[in-house]
Amino acid sequence: MRNIKNMKNLLAYSLVTALFVGGSACTNLDEELQDRFTADFKPSNQGVGNKDNVNKAQPSDGLQGAFSKVLDGTAGNGGFFAVQEGGTDEAVITQKGGDWYDGGLYIRMHHHEFSPQTWGINDAWSQSYGGIFQCNTLLDVATTTAPQKAQLRVLRAYFYWRLMDVFGNIPLVVKAGVDVPQSTRAQAYAFIESELLAAIPDLSPGKQEYGRVSQGAAYALLARLYLNAQVYTGTAQYQKCIDAADKVINSGVYSLSPSYSAIFDPKNVENVEHIFVAPFDESTGGGAVWPMMTLHYPSQLTWKFQSQPWNGFSTLEDFYNSYEDADKRKKANFIVGPQFDLSGEIQLLDLAYDKGDPDGAGLNYTPKINMLYPNASRQAGARFGKFSFKVGQKNDADNDFPLLRYSEVLLNKAEAAFRLGDAGTAVTLIDQLRTRAGVGTIAPLTEGKLLAERGRELFVEALRRTDLIRFGVYGNAWWEKQVDPKADVHILMAIPIEQMQASASTAFPLKQNPGY
Amino acid sequence: MIRLYLSIRRFTFLLLLFASTMAMAQERAVSGKITSSDDGSAIPGVNIQIKGTSNGTVSDADGNFKINASGNSTLVFSFVGYTSQEVEVGAQSTINVTLQSDITALSEVVVVGYGTQDKKEITGSVVSVDTKSFNKGTISDPALLLQGKVAGLSIYNKGGDPNGSPTIRLRGLSTVGANVQPLVVVDGVLGASLENIDPNDIETINVLKDGSAAAIYGSRGSSGVILITTKRGSKSGGLSVTYNGSVAASTIYKKVPVMSPDDYVAAGGNDLGSRTDWQKQITQTGISNVHNIAVSGGNQTTSFRMSTNIRDVNGIQKTSGWSQINTRANLTHSALEGKLKIDLNMAFTNRNSDLAFPEAFRYAALYNPTAPVRFPSGDYYQAILFDNYNPVAIIEQNKHTGNRKNLNYSAKLDYNVTKDLTWTVNYGQQFDDTSEDTYYSSKSLWTGYGRNGLARKQSSNKSFTLFETYGTYAKAFNNIDASLSAGYSYQQDQYQSLFVELGNFPSDALGTNALQLAGDRISGIANNVNISSSKTPVNKIIAGFARVNLTFDKGIFFNASVRREGSTKLGPDHQWGTFPSVGAGVDLNKYLQMAKVSTLKLRAGYGVTGSLPGPSGLSQDQYNYSLNGGGNVTLAVNGNPDLKWEQKAETNVGVEFGFGKLSGTLDAYTRTIKDFILLRNVPVTQYPSGQRYENAGSLKTPGIELSLNYNDIQFGEFRWTPGLVVSHYKTTLTNFIIDRQVIADFGAPGQNGTYPLLVAVGQPIGQIWGPVFAGVEGNGSPKFADLNGDGKVISNPSDALDPKADMKKLGNGIPTIEAGWSNRISYKKWDLNVFFRAAMGHSLINQFRAFYEPLDPGAINSYNRIKTSNAVAGLTAAQYSSLYVEKADFIKLDNMTIGYTFNTSSSKIKSCRLYLSGQNLLQITKYTGIDPEPALTDTEASGANAVLAPGIDRRNNYYTARTFTFGLNLGF
Repeated sequence: MRNIKNMKNLLAYSLVTALFVGGSACTNLDEELQDRFTADFKPSNQGVGNKDNVNKAQPSDGLQGAFSKVLDGTAGNGGFFAVQEGGTDEAVITQKGGDWYDGGLYIRMHHHEFSPQTWGINDAWSQSYGGIFQCNTLLDVATTTAPQKAQLRVLRAYFYWRLMDVFGNIPLVVKAGVDVPQSTRAQAYAFIESELLAAIPDLSPGKQEYGRVSQGAAYALLARLYLNAQVYTGTAQYQKCIDAADKVINSGVYSLSPSYSAIFDPKNVENVEHIFVAPFDESTGGGAVWPMMTLHYPSQLTWKFQSQPWNGFSTLEDFYNSYEDADKRKKANFIVGPQFDLSGEIQLLDLAYDKGDPDGAGLNYTPKINMLYPNASRQAGARFGKFSFKVGQKNDADNDFPLLRYSEVLLNKAEAAFRLGDAGTAVTLIDQLRTRAGVGTIAPLTEGKLLAERGRELFVEALRRTDLIRFGVYGNAWWEKQVDPKADVHILMAIPIEQMQASASTAFPLKQNPGY
Repeated sequence: MIRLYLSIRRFTFLLLLFASTMAMAQERAVSGKITSSDDGSAIPGVNIQIKGTSNGTVSDADGNFKINASGNSTLVFSFVGYTSQEVEVGAQSTINVTLQSDITALSEVVVVGYGTQDKKEITGSVVSVDTKSFNKGTISDPALLLQGKVAGLSIYNKGGDPNGSPTIRLRGLSTVGANVQPLVVVDGVLGASLENIDPNDIETINVLKDGSAAAIYGSRGSSGVILITTKRGSKSGGLSVTYNGSVAASTIYKKVPVMSPDDYVAAGGNDLGSRTDWQKQITQTGISNVHNIAVSGGNQTTSFRMSTNIRDVNGIQKTSGWSQINTRANLTHSALEGKLKIDLNMAFTNRNSDLAFPEAFRYAALYNPTAPVRFPSGDYYQAILFDNYNPVAIIEQNKHTGNRKNLNYSAKLDYNVTKDLTWTVNYGQQFDDTSEDTYYSSKSLWTGYGRNGLARKQSSNKSFTLFETYGTYAKAFNNIDASLSAGYSYQQDQYQSLFVELGNFPSDALGTNALQLAGDRISGIANNVNISSSKTPVNKIIAGFARVNLTFDKGIFFNASVRREGSTKLGPDHQWGTFPSVGAGVDLNKYLQMAKVSTLKLRAGYGVTGSLPGPSGLSQDQYNYSLNGGGNVTLAVNGNPDLKWEQKAETNVGVEFGFGKLSGTLDAYTRTIKDFILLRNVPVTQYPSGQRYENAGSLKTPGIELSLNYNDIQFGEFRWTPGLVVSHYKTTLTNFIIDRQVIADFGAPGQNGTYPLLVAVGQPIGQIWGPVFAGVEGNGSPKFADLNGDGKVISNPSDALDPKADMKKLGNGIPTIEAGWSNRISYKKWDLNVFFRAAMGHSLINQFRAFYEPLDPGAINSYNRIKTSNAVAGLTAAQYSSLYVEKADFIKLDNMTIGYTFNTSSSKIKSCRLYLSGQNLLQITKYTGIDPEPALTDTEASGANAVLAPGIDRRNNYYTARTFTFGLNLGF
């Protein structure tokens, strides 16, 4: 009896306690986030940051969530830029003793020893799909207008062009969060083409708003797509390339910038050549870090940068020498020679200079590079000066990056005409650019001269890998690089190992590209 | 030296102060003899203590003792193997005592989850450590009291950073999620912070090692539970006062081995004409003071204890250190004729820290040893080089300080509803506030120059509330003792923070105190006006729990418990989990009655505990708004609504034994962790953030632990009590979403993309992986061995996973054997403690060597190089390989303390002891780096990537220190 009474007490106390704590509060486990937006705050939100751009405000159209994604991996030390420039004949990162070995990442890039862990490919993949997700999300928003949707489809097609060009076989995701099986390169090509064509009627025929696209961008991207169709699909489309290029050329919206360097300098907002740009801005458009990528540490004092540069990228000597001395683009594109502080009077000293360096401690960028690895001189190599620097620059640069520009359209048309046997048209178009650069005619035109001219004009615009593949010379030998025995495989990069691993346990595991 | 002198003077003053107050107590001498009930022989070494105080003495070789005690005090006579006895002094001046030998020698009440248990009835693996066994010397972190004392509890404090905190692991890696460190319970308040407890206030620390003991704590018990009981007042009446004070001096034990200036110049370095030992320039002898004063007392109904602890600690880097005041008060009162017991606890800590700049150690190792500290003009010497800054300038030009305040209080009510039923309500709160200020001078080339002065200010606060209520019903039926507990637990916590960073100041004079002066406010650059704030949701854990303990025939024991618990951090359909445990034990000695065997108990237990992710909101999609790109919203976190508990199931069998003077415990266990929570890569085609928390794999850890005590070895008045703990475990990854991967990026300069740790299914955790060094190429590059003999060396870091790669296991970052050997020695009034600690079988990647030992021709001009006996001539390129993986087995003489207890019979001071203690006195190891202690986590990673990558000795280590402490314990 006594025990039963005790048990009753126990129950009674439990009940009293439960009441004391208060009904539902004692089992409620709802989680309310305090510092993060959840489902009701979607990418269509316009935000407030755009009007604070130092350069120029972008339109308040609710599309910046998608268009800002072109900043990623475009002008930094990795991602799409690294993939397009890293293994080419115009850009190299040498191993400077203890600096820039990084597991042989850059040496292997230069040697074309590609693998699923190649430098930049995972970011190139992820950043492009990041942009595609934003496009898909906004395309699903009810308030997005038809012209806005057309712009988003062009943008999405641009991201898919990047993926198709680098990886070939890719999933074509058209709805946010819904994964699909991998398509072939030919399918991806067809999709990009049809998307661009479908978007054109709803796009403005005039000049695009800042940071956005109009019909010009769709036609310019089509011209680029058709120029490479032989590589992408096995079927050449040179006439289609010429037709698309003519739409841009004959629109009257774009023209050659009188000054080459003005297309790329920190004040290059809305240059007449720009058809589609990544609108970098030191305040609200971060990601362009040219001085950091290329300059040696003491060069901080020449421009009084906020941070010390990293001494990474330089140009191959042969590429530097492919410019005539009179070519204005040579001076615009490179930084060479002795370096001075802001006053221009005191030569900068590199106290960690290699004792074998004939220049001694005085900082002097020489086009000649002594070796690729392991002990390349820290001062060797001409540096990238194309996207020029401003004094007192903060960590992020202001220079807008032309993703599509008028000169490229001219070169694309010239090449297509040349390949169709019309060298005369090609020379006329190319000579427009050469005249601006202060050099004589390119005639008589050859395939080799055409490639070299594209190199001189489009230096570090993240097109070199595509061009070298189209000209069939990506696997050739050049400085510190042998002929690539797997050149046919290397037309495509491998699907990144991270993505292979991540997709392995999903409904659509990715298939690795052939030969890897 | 002036500081040392001042400190000693201050200390001496305090000593005199206390001496002058000692004439005030009313006491007289009591003496007597202690004999054994077995044979009437005298027992030497018996502890005689005045109850409720720490004052006491020890019987001499003939069993005689003498002590000063007041008439109303009670003497407690205790000795291992005998039942303790209490005698009230009253009018007696001679007290002779006969101690009864205790056949079970186990009748000790031990604090366990939600209650106490007789030690012999415990069926899990529970270890109790008291003040006698705590580590000695200047110890400010309670965890370090236990370092090397508990088999299976790994505590490592690499380097000697006074502002650092140790890594604690119980039985290896029990989760890859957030709470890899054990749950701490202080006086019944779970989740309490160790930061708010002064080691001087701790009475005992119990460690619940296995799953069956910890399961009652459910989701937070997977990494083990540390139960701390603080000192309390005595009910025997009267007041007692204790004072413990010490002064300590720390000096560098080991620094980074670099070239001497002459070697450096000979190797091709630019000789700038001076000779500077940079490592010496930035270090000091760190003088520390500790003062603890406690007043305690009470009567039959009310008892209390209050203490104040003052610590002023200085590290070996110039300016580094902290000072703190901590105070703790507790009061216990019984009312309603003893039916209601009220227990109130409060503690407060305020610590001001000078966090200094540990980065300066790295620059000090590599700075040109022929450069002067300053130019003749008085300006600091600076060279414009990559990642190369005058270390003296770093610590003198910049300022980095912090403050932390911890407050906790708790109230606990126990009500005896009937003779058999007690109901308990426990309510507690804890607040932890921190702030940190960093100012980089506009003249500091390192950081600050490029920004014309740079200020960072951050603050955070954390609050925690606990409410628990439970009843315990205990009853004996015939041959069965039964006890049943059941209750409810509610925990909530919330954290918020604020961070501001601004640059461009008109003057450096005001530092972080006038942020409004910053020119960056008008520049409009978002990246230069860095402001962020955060606040977590109210994270809740809600649980109901029950436990039953049954003892049959006073020799067979059975325990079972269950906890049903829910957390806000998981997916809506997976918030609730159940954590059961069951255990049984038998006192074999009771039934077998073997000769010479004093104890023989077998026990076995099984229990399930859980683990939660650290961050909140993981089940929901989270969007970020970014100013970049002109203001836009992107998906930052892909939610996983299916996220569920990570579960650990553990089986433990143990035997406790005693043969004559030898006693010990042997435990063997297997723990299996499934569904561990991990931030993993997911396809970006579906999840644009690219990462998501998922239940991703399983771990298995078998292990064995042995502890032995010998009590004691005697030669006349010389008595020696040795004790040994040894443990071994091995954790294997049994299931994972990725079969093989390499992690832990080596880092800049030049070794990004190099991942030296292999994580593979079926393989142990902590495998160091890489190519085998086989000489030097003509161009100074390393040559690697062709391990598979295919004539091709595939050794590039990005080939680490290639089946044809010439790479192999180069070591393991986790020790195979960890041991502690303690020795308590007494001789007359002298006492001596000697403690050795060892870890074996682990390796470390010595990153200092891997980056800076090769003689890079471009670097030698201006950067000093590491120079060890392992250096290879002609090697110029720094590339990770077996060359830098070193065995790091060590034995350390962790501590040696010698004390003398003064005869206080002629004075009013109840007890007085002086001691001298040395910490980190000797270290035997072949490791060439600063400290051979295992690196259980990668300090440059977080989450799973940190705990899955043990064994990398990163370059940010503080130098190790050796500390000598001179101290005094007084009771009156």
